[in-house]
Amino acid sequence: MMGIQRDRVRFNVGGRTFETTSTTLANAGRNSFFGALFDGNWNLQPMNSNSDLFIDRNPDCFAVLLDLLRTGELYIPPTVPEKLLCREAQFYGVLDHVRAAKWGQFDGNRLRLSRSITGPAPGDGTAIRAGPNGGCCVAHGSMVHVYDWMMEEHPPINLDYQRVNDAGWIDSESLVISACERLGTGDGGMGLFSSSTGELRYKFQVSHDNQIKSYTAGALTFSSDYKIFSSCKGRSNEYGVGVWDQITGKQIDFFYESPGWSLGDADKLQWLNGYNCLLVATLFPRKDNCYISLLDFREKNMVWSWSDIGAPITFDEKRVRDAIAMEGSNSICVVNEYEDLGFMDLRSAAGSVRWSSRSRLMNGKMSDEPCYPKLALHDGQLFSSMSDCISVFSGPDWVLTSRLRRGQGGSICDFSIGGDRLFALHSEENVFDIWETPPTSVL
Amino acid sequence: MSNPQKKRNFQIEAFKHKVVVDPKYADKTWKILEHAIHEIYNHNASGLSFEELYRNAYNMVLHKFGEKLYTGLVTTMTAHLKEISKSIEDAQGGLFLEELNRKWNDHNKALQMIRDILMYMDRTFIQSARKTPVHELGLILWRDNVIYSSKIRTRLLDTLLELVLRERTGEVINRGLMRNIIKMLMDLGSSVYQEEFEQPFLEVSAEFYKGESQKFIECCDCGEYLKKAERRLNEEMERVTHYLDAKSEAKITNVVEKEMIANHMLALVHMENSGLVNMLLDDKYEDLGRMYNLFRRVSSGLSTVRDVMTSHIREIGKQLVTDPERLKDPVEFVQRLLDEKDKYDKIISSAFNNDKTFQNALNSSFEYFINLNARSPEFISLFVDDKLRKGLKGVSEEDVEVILDKVMMLFRYLQEKDVFEKYYKQHLAKRLLSGKTVSDDAERSLIVKLKTECGYQFTSKLEGMFTDMKTSQDTMQGFYASHPELGEGPTLTVQVLTTGSWPTQPSVTCNLPAEMSALCEKFRSYYLGTHTGRRLSWQTNMGTADIKATFGKGQKHELNVSTYQMCVLMLFNNSDRLSYKEIEQATEIPASDLKRCLQSLACVKGKNVLRKEPMSKDIGEDDAFFVNDKFTSKFYKVKIGTVVAQKESEPEKQETRQRVEEDRKPQIEAAIVRIMKSRKVLDHNNIITEVTKQLQSRFLANPTEIKKRIESLIERDFLERDNVDRKLYRYLA
Repeated sequence: MMGIQRDRVRFNVGGRTFETTSTTLANAGRNSFFGALFDGNWNLQPMNSNSDLFIDRNPDCFAVLLDLLRTGELYIPPTVPEKLLCREAQFYGVLDHVRAAKWGQFDGNRLRLSRSITGPAPGDGTAIRAGPNGGCCVAHGSMVHVYDWMMEEHPPINLDYQRVNDAGWIDSESLVISACERLGTGDGGMGLFSSSTGELRYKFQVSHDNQIKSYTAGALTFSSDYKIFSSCKGRSNEYGVGVWDQITGKQIDFFYESPGWSLGDADKLQWLNGYNCLLVATLFPRKDNCYISLLDFREKNMVWSWSDIGAPITFDEKRVRDAIAMEGSNSICVVNEYEDLGFMDLRSAAGSVRWSSRSRLMNGKMSDEPCYPKLALHDGQLFSSMSDCISVFSGPDWVLTSRLRRGQGGSICDFSIGGDRLFALHSEENVFDIWETPPTSVL
Repeated sequence: MSNPQKKRNFQIEAFKHKVVVDPKYADKTWKILEHAIHEIYNHNASGLSFEELYRNAYNMVLHKFGEKLYTGLVTTMTAHLKEISKSIEDAQGGLFLEELNRKWNDHNKALQMIRDILMYMDRTFIQSARKTPVHELGLILWRDNVIYSSKIRTRLLDTLLELVLRERTGEVINRGLMRNIIKMLMDLGSSVYQEEFEQPFLEVSAEFYKGESQKFIECCDCGEYLKKAERRLNEEMERVTHYLDAKSEAKITNVVEKEMIANHMLALVHMENSGLVNMLLDDKYEDLGRMYNLFRRVSSGLSTVRDVMTSHIREIGKQLVTDPERLKDPVEFVQRLLDEKDKYDKIISSAFNNDKTFQNALNSSFEYFINLNARSPEFISLFVDDKLRKGLKGVSEEDVEVILDKVMMLFRYLQEKDVFEKYYKQHLAKRLLSGKTVSDDAERSLIVKLKTECGYQFTSKLEGMFTDMKTSQDTMQGFYASHPELGEGPTLTVQVLTTGSWPTQPSVTCNLPAEMSALCEKFRSYYLGTHTGRRLSWQTNMGTADIKATFGKGQKHELNVSTYQMCVLMLFNNSDRLSYKEIEQATEIPASDLKRCLQSLACVKGKNVLRKEPMSKDIGEDDAFFVNDKFTSKFYKVKIGTVVAQKESEPEKQETRQRVEEDRKPQIEAAIVRIMKSRKVLDHNNIITEVTKQLQSRFLANPTEIKKRIESLIERDFLERDNVDRKLYRYLA
C-alpha cells in the first residue's frame, strides 16, 4: 500500500516517541484504532510532514502493546499493572490480541495453573461455569458472581435471592440461571441476565393448562438450535423437562415425567446434536435410585433408558454420581464416588454399566469432606474431578494422561471448561482456580 | 445558585460524581464529534484529527455518555440522510440513478469513517446495551430515510424495471450502474432486495413473457419458438450474473419456464407442420435437443414429449407392420423395422441425452407394434436367413455382429419367441442342408446370443443340427472308405438328421433314378450296419444334385439342381418328350412340388433346360416337356434354382401355427405341474397369472389354452378340484 519510505511511522504517545512501521501496526487488524488510523479515508497529515502522530495515552502500556504487535508475544513488565494494560488494549481495540497472547488453545495435558481467585461469598459454592470468552460465573447460594476474562468482577446476579441450582452462558453477554421457587410468590424459576451489568432481562415461565405456574428450575443445558432445556418441578404436575426458545423466550415444549421415572429432579442435562435427543440424568442421592434416559422431543418418547432400580447393592455400593454422553463413541460415561469410570452402550437398548477397574484411582479411600465426582468432555479428552484433583483421560481407550492438583482449597466441588480455560471451584474455601494452556513460544 | 438552600442536596450529589469535572463536558465533546460528522458528510474531512475524535468518543463512553453519543449519532445521521434524500429526489430523469449511486457511495464512505471514530462505542457500549452496531444502523437509516422515502421508492422501482425492459427489447443499458444499485438493495438486506425489486421484477417479467410467448406462438413455428425461448432463458441467466442476486436465477428462470414453456407445452408439441412429430419425422436433432432441454425444466414436460413420441412410434410402427404392401418382402419389412429403431436410437442419443425413460418408451412401443403382426417372428427369421445366406458376403465380422445384435433386439420384443424358434429351425435346416450358409461363425454367434437370451433349452435342438452336420461328414468318409469300388459313377452325399432336432416334413419319398437308388441302398446297409437299431428314411424333398448334361449341338454344362429336378431330368435320358402325367407317374413327386420343379426347369429365362408345350408361365396337367436342344449359357456351371415361395403360403402358415400350438401344450402343462407341485393348492386366476409369467420368455400363453390344459391334467389325475371351492385346484402327488 505504501512505499518503503512511507512505511516508517513515528508516534508521540503521552510524551514519548515511538518509531515503528505501518506493517507492524497492520497486525492489529482493520477493526482497531491503528487499522482505522491508516485507512485511506483519513488524511494523515503527519505522514507527509515530518512531525509525529500524537496519541494522548499511557506510553508504558503502548510500549508493551507495540511489542505485542511486533512479536505476537506478551511481556508485561512488573511496573505495568495488568489491569491498566488491558484498559489501554481496549482503547486501541487490541484486547483480543492480548487475550490470545496470554494463553493458547486448550489442551488438557498441557494445563498450567494460571491463578486462583478468592471470592467474597460465604459458604460453599454450588457451580462454576466457564464463559465463551474466557470469563466465568460462580454460583454461591442465592448469588451468581460473574467474572470477565481479566477476572474483573461484574455486578453479581440473583433471582429474587432464591437458591441457585444451575447457571449457563448463552453467549458472552447473556447468562441464564435457574433457581428454587419461593412458595406462593412466583419468585425463583429461571431468568436471563446481562453478564456485564447483572440486569435481569427476561424471566422464563412455565404454563400448565394455559396457566402460568411457579416452579423450581434445576439443571440447565442449551442446544445449537437456540433452545434452553431445564428440569422443572412445579406446584402440581409440572414435573419434567421444559424447553424454551432463546430468541423469543417462550416456552415451546414440556416433557412430563412418567410415573416411576424421574426427570424433574434431574442433576444433569446434555443436548446430543447427532441423536437429536436430550440426555437426562437424575442421580443418587437426590433420589434413592439413578435414572438416565435419552428423550426424543419430536416423538415425545424415551428412546433409551437405564436405571439402577433392582440392581444388587454391592458392599462398596457403586452408585453413579455423574454421567456424560460421548456421541463419538455412542456411549455414556459414568463415574462413582471412588472415581471408577463406567461405560454404557447407547446402541443397545438394555444398557448395563461396564465398570472399568483400570481407572480405579482412589482404591476405595474417601477424603474427609466428600465431594461428588464430576465429568466433562472436551475435544476428545475426558475430565473427572475427585477430591482436590482433576484427572485427564485421553485417546480412544481413555488412558489417564494427566492430573491437575493444587495444594489448598480443599475438595473440588465443580469444574467447567470453556474459552480455552478450565475453572475449578473448591468447597472448603471460597476460591476457584484457572488452568490455561501456555501460548506457544516463538523461541 | 440563587437558591442554595433548596438545591444543596442535589448539588452535593453532583459534586460527589467525581468522574466528570466539567458538567458541560458531554455536550462539548458531542459538539466536536457532531461537527466532525458534518464535515465528513460535506467531504471536508481533511482537517479532522482521527486520534482526537477517537479519544473523544472513547471518553464519552468511558464516562457513561454512551447513550447520548448513540442518540446524537442517530439524530445527526438521520438529518444528513434527509438532505441526501432531497437531493436525490431533485435529480432529473436519467440522472436519478446516478445521483442515488453517488450518494450511496458517499454515505458508505462516511459511514465507514464514523464507525472508525466510534469504534470503541461499537465494541463496548453497543454490545452491553444491545443496540444496533454503527454500520448496520447506517444501513437501516439509509433504508428508512432514502429508499423508503415516498418520492424515491416507486421511482426507483419503476426506473429499474424500465431499464430491464429496455434491455429486453434490445437496448444497451448501463449495467455497471444497475449492478451498483441492485447491490445497494442487497446490502440493505435480502428482504429489502426482495420487496423493493425482486418480487415486482418477477411479476413484471411474468407479464412480459406471457405477452411475448403469445405473440411468438401465433407467428413462429415450433423450432423457431424454442430457439427464442432458449435465447430468452439464457438472457435472463446472463442478466442475473451481470447485475442481480445469484439467488434470483432460479426464480426468474422459473418465470420464463412457466410462461414460455409450461403454459404452451401442448400447443408447441402438437404445433401443425412443425411440432414434435414433424421434428421426429425430419430428424431435427437440434430442435429436438432444444425441446428436450427446455421441457425437462418444467414439471411433466418430458412426460409430454415422451407420450407424444410413444404414440407416434406406435402409429408409424402399426402402419409398418400392417401395411399389406410391406408384407410382400419380409427382408424389407425387417429392414424397415431396424431402420426405424436406428432412427429413434439416434434421436434419443443425440437429442434426448440418452434418457433412460425415453429408451424404455421406445422399447415398449416396439414391443407393442411388432406383436401386432403375427408374422413378425417368421419375418425376423427370414431376415436372418437372408443375411446368413448371402447378405453377409464381404461384410466384416464386426458388422455381422452388429446386424445380429440388432436382430436380437427385435427378437427381444417378440412375445411368441417359440414361433420364431420354429421358423428359425426351418430356415436354418434349409441353409445347412443346401450348404448355403455363408459363415459358420455367424450362425454360431447368433445361436450363442439366443442361448444367453432364452436359455439352453431354446437352442439345444439348433445345436443338435450342427452336430448332425458334422457327424454326417464323418459318416460319408467312412462310407466311401469301406466302398472303394464306388470311385466311378455318381457320388452320393448323405446327411443323417436326427429326428426331432430338425423340422419334420411330411416325407414322401420320390422314385429316385435307378443309379441313385442302388447307391442309396448301399449307404443304408452301411449305415445300419454300423448303427444298430436305427431307421433311415429319405428326405428327397431336401436334397440337391450336380448333373452333367450334353445338349443338342454338343454344349456341355454342369447343372446344379434339386433332387426332384434331378429325378425329372434323368427321365429325359430315355425319352425325348414326356407329358406331365408321365413325369408325375415316374417320379411320384407331390404335385405342388413337381409343378414348382417343372416351372423352374422350363419357364425361367436363361435356365430353361426343358421346353414345354404349350409355352406359358404356368404348368398345366396336360403340358408336354422335351429337352431344350438350343439351351445355351455362358457359364459351364448352371444353377437351376427352384421357384420357392420364400414366405410361407397360407396353408403352410396354418400348419406351422398348428405345430407351434401343439408344441406349446406340453410346455404349458409342465409349467402348471411345476407351479402346483410347489404350491399344492391354488385358485384358477393365480394359476393363469403364474403360468403366463413363467412362459413369458418364450410365448404369451393363451388363458383358454391354459384352462384346457388344466382340464386335461385333471383327467389324467395330476390335479383335482377342491370339493368345497370349485375354483381351487389341488396337486395330486
